[in-house]
Amino acid sequence: MPFDVIAAVTDQRELGPDTWLLALDAPQIAAAARAGEFVMLGLPEIDRMLIRRPFSIARVGPAEAGAPRTIEIVYKVFGSRTAMFSTLRPGAKMSVLGPLGRGFWLPEPDGPRELLLVAGGIGIAIFPLLVQQLGARAGEASLLYGARTAAELVLRDWFAERGVAVELATDDGSAGHHGMVTDLLEARLARPARGRRLVMACGPTPMLRAVGDLAMAREVPCQLALEETMACGFGVCLGCVVPRRNPEGEFDRFVRVCTEGPVFDAREVAP
Amino acid sequence: MSGGVRTEVDVGRGLVLRNPILTASGTFGYGLEYEPFVDLTALGGIVVKGISPAPRAGNPPPRIVETPSGMLNAIGLQNVGVERFVREKLPALRERGAVVIVNVFGSSEADYVAVVEALEREQGIAAYELNLSCPNVDKGGLAFGRDPDAMRALTRAVRERTGRPLWVKLTPNVTDIAEMARAARDGGADAVSLVNTYVGMVIDVERRRPVLARRTGGLSGPAIRPLAVAAVDQVHRAIDLPIIGIGGITCARDVVEFMLAGARAVQVGTANYNDPAIAQKLVDELVSWCRAHGVGDVNELVGALEE
Ligand SMILES: Cc1cc2nc3c(=O)[nH]c(=O)nc-3n(C[C@H](O)[C@H](O)[C@H](O)COP(=O)(O)OP(=O)(O)OC[C@H]3O[C@@H](n4cnc5c(N)ncnc54)[C@H](O)[C@@H]3O)c2cc1C
Ligand SMILES: Cc1cc2nc3c(=O)[nH]c(=O)nc-3n(C[C@H](O)[C@H](O)[C@H](O)COP(=O)(O)O)c2cc1C
Ligand code: FES
Repeated sequence: MPFDVIAAVTDQRELGPDTWLLALDAPQIAAAARAGEFVMLGLPEIDRMLIRRPFSIARVGPAEAGAPRTIEIVYKVFGSRTAMFSTLRPGAKMSVLGPLGRGFWLPEPDGPRELLLVAGGIGIAIFPLLVQQLGARAGEASLLYGARTAAELVLRDWFAERGVAVELATDDGSAGHHGMVTDLLEARLARPARGRRLVMACGPTPMLRAVGDLAMAREVPCQLALEETMACGFGVCLGCVVPRRNPEGEFDRFVRVCTEGPVFDAREVAP
Repeated sequence: MSGGVRTEVDVGRGLVLRNPILTASGTFGYGLEYEPFVDLTALGGIVVKGISPAPRAGNPPPRIVETPSGMLNAIGLQNVGVERFVREKLPALRERGAVVIVNVFGSSEADYVAVVEALEREQGIAAYELNLSCPNVDKGGLAFGRDPDAMRALTRAVRERTGRPLWVKLTPNVTDIAEMARAARDGGADAVSLVNTYVGMVIDVERRRPVLARRTGGLSGPAIRPLAVAAVDQVHRAIDLPIIGIGGITCARDVVEFMLAGARAVQVGTANYNDPAIAQKLVDELVSWCRAHGVGDVNELVGALEE
């Protein structure tokens, strides 16, 4: 069940170009959050902001001690609202609805696993919570992380410090592979698996399409985190739909990214 | 009664709502989605998402975009169809004791009649609201909502099949909304609800394309409130039929504004997305407003403009 709370900003930090980390004091949401779920973020006054905006719950904190109190959002300034969010400082109040949506689902750890987390740009925001929840098994995960340029590869050290194997790709070659993150995935999938393989991806639509195609071609289970414009975040406005395919690949029906997703099996959706 | 203020309102054909705050169709799902936030029985009523004879897939995305003080939507009446509504949604609503108004949609007169006939067999429906005003579908809805003769005929066809309260929801996308209200009354409507959304368009100037896949959508939210209040005022001065006011309501002051213009009850729409508990809060806020202003009965507000 989601909570709709007024939460105080406890931290706001610039991580990279136009990229920020925002922390909010929201203990109920922090305690309930699961990897891949999101919140709708707004301001307490409806006349200052009518339609809230969706953001992945990037991390809960404090990371290593007791029940978490805060949720962290990692976001990129895109337009008017994210620009305004970036001006908020500790003590400012926001309205937060969450946790929302259906996040990642992980196979039972009945043997060795090879989890391939594929992030494009700000899509990285969905993965820290997954790594937090993997806990001691974070070493089963590899992060394949692409961006335009090295400065945009925020949080990469955080993953490495937790035992995640990090492989980078940049469009301009300023860090890691000079090319696309999907090149890294293709190379990895061509190698023998270290256990039950599972691909999880978040990023721009063309990247998600390519990731889904690569994984499906090799019959590797693949989960894609999609984005669509949202007004409510809890299933009532029907604004956030994407077409769902049946097993024959034909249009079946429109599904809501906010409640039936945002994480989908790659076989169900065609981003 | 609530906090010393009488809140019951009579919206026609003997239907007395416990208070004048309802939720608008398409913004409150089938009601049950709001249970974590709202006591459904505390509201005057809930108007469920438009129901058509068969399920509808709706329009392709993008379907929504925020606009200054509002939003544009082109959902295209995606819904589960009357059969699944009766089987999966209505029993739960009935069990909760919520006052349910079913918003009915079709692309022909036969469609509207078919939905109402299917619902006539069911208990737990307080009223029907005929959606003759959706701007986001190719056929039906708006076609009836813009032609007084078609509206009168369609209202009459449904009227002949039900003894339940019958509301007609009006589009503001007409030259003379009062003429449409008269047509609904002449067809046998017990109340009119207004307004549905205004046709609008947003263009992505970088891509030189409409933002919504359907090109245009329906504008809702505070941006339309003054337009909607004017429409209610116009209809109130033209005909003597209960009016349900809709458009951009976010606080008790807005509710009072619609009631002064002539509405007996109101529906809250887009604001439900921002604050899923807002409808219930408005009930309490309205009572507080009345107490603070020495109003002992909300009905004293209806059409009570100083001239
Ligand atoms: C489930 C979900 C999780 C998300 N998580 C994150 C996150 O963790 N970090 C992050 O930075 N962003 C995330 N987004 C995207 C974020 O919601 C948008 O960037 C934000 O709504 C833009 O708001 P704005 O007012 O600044 O931009 P607007 O002024 O509304 O729009 C500016 C530009 O942003 C783009 N935009 C608007 N809404 C969206 C959207 N929903 N998705 C993608 N692009 C959009 C539009 O193309 C537009 O050109 C997520 C989206 C979804 C659906
Ligand atoms: C996303 C969305 C979906 C809607 N769906 C319906 C619908 O199915 N039937 C209907 O009669 N009105 C529908 N409406 C119109 C609302 O019921 C209401 O008339 C309108 O939004 C104006 O009120 P508001 O400004 O308070 O939102 C919809 C509105 C929105 C925003
Ligand atoms: S955002 Fe409203 S249904 Fe998904």
